Amino acid sequence: MNGTPRGLNRALLAIAGLVLVALGTGLAVLAWVPAVALRWQDWAGPQVAGLSALAARTRLAPGAGSWIWLVVAACLLVLVIAMVAWVANQGKGRTNILFQRDGAADDDGAAGTVVLSSAIAEQSLKAALLERGDLLGVSVTSYDFRGQAAVRVRVLPRQGVAPHEVAADIASLVEAMDTLLGVQVPVLLSLGSGPRSRFTKAERVR
Amino acid sequence: MTQPAARIVKRETHSSRAPLSVVVAVLVTLLAVYGLLEAILRAVGQPPWLVDPVTAARRLAALPEGTSPVLLGTIGVLLFLLGLICLGHAVLPGRRARHTIADPRVAIVVDDEVIASALARRARLAAGVTREQVMVVVSARAVQVNVRPTSGIRLDESRIRAAVEAELAQMALEPDPAVTVRLSTSGVIGV
Repeated sequence: MNGTPRGLNRALLAIAGLVLVALGTGLAVLAWVPAVALRWQDWAGPQVAGLSALAARTRLAPGAGSWIWLVVAACLLVLVIAMVAWVANQGKGRTNILFQRDGAADDDGAAGTVVLSSAIAEQSLKAALLERGDLLGVSVTSYDFRGQAAVRVRVLPRQGVAPHEVAADIASLVEAMDTLLGVQVPVLLSLGSGPRSRFTKAERVR
Repeated sequence: MTQPAARIVKRETHSSRAPLSVVVAVLVTLLAVYGLLEAILRAVGQPPWLVDPVTAARRLAALPEGTSPVLLGTIGVLLFLLGLICLGHAVLPGRRARHTIADPRVAIVVDDEVIASALARRARLAAGVTREQVMVVVSARAVQVNVRPTSGIRLDESRIRAAVEAELAQMALEPDPAVTVRLSTSGVIGV
């Protein structure tokens, strides 16, 4: 539920995959089909000759290179910036404002803003859950989910604890928090067993 | 379930593809930085670090010459396979090993490992065996309970199945898996 751009991830991975598949097929065909190799050399040789002629013609100064290398460098720089931006967007989206409402003068006579910090929900839920003996770990974080704050509760129950009972207890805790705060924010409860669960498809437990 | 909760659950039960994205982005960045270095060296008229761009292009254009076909073909097949991995990550749904529990207020997702350990405990109590004799495998639409009986004590398969199914019914998982119980033909002794 964080702000990872999933559609973008898949689109860029698809582009990278297509480029790699095309390159790989091309190299394999060049290596093993002589007719294609001859046609490639006939086509690519003049292209490279044209490129070096262009580079020689557009020389900036004697002894220096051509400006087309600066153009190439600029394009590569843009590519690097795009890649860094892509990485920086993974997993972001934490927020520390749970709820915000601007007061109006005609509401209760005071113009101002009510802001509830995410720490309220996080600390109250965490304090209530840490008392339980059947949970090994608790983490509560808040994310900005499409313009609205949402709370993610991740608990790691002990082996053999029935998940629906833990879930029902936490749901009643969340309802108590709703009455405490006076607002309802979306809550995600995730029951897990640590990072091991990420690497296997079917779960085996004795 | 409300609209944002349904979206949240969809995101939690499917992989975000973030790790492979980061790997691809880092590799592309490294390649681009190297190309940037060589292009700038060429532009200011300095000698190249590893290979001059024009020389590299010339070698590419002459390609099967200058390398052995086996090496070139192997590199090609390797790149093809890496491309297939990327394409697979882009196209496949990427379901994670998780189930959801319907609740009017909270969106709940449970890792299959948690379900498996809860069902294993219930099956162990119903069968009256030790922890080591029960293994439960949970996948999206199937739960398989493997029990090794204690040697000399007959186990009732229908009782174990009823206990596990009752526990599953209480969990009310989505999607709802079907239970199969398998009693091992060989028993264990010394437990």
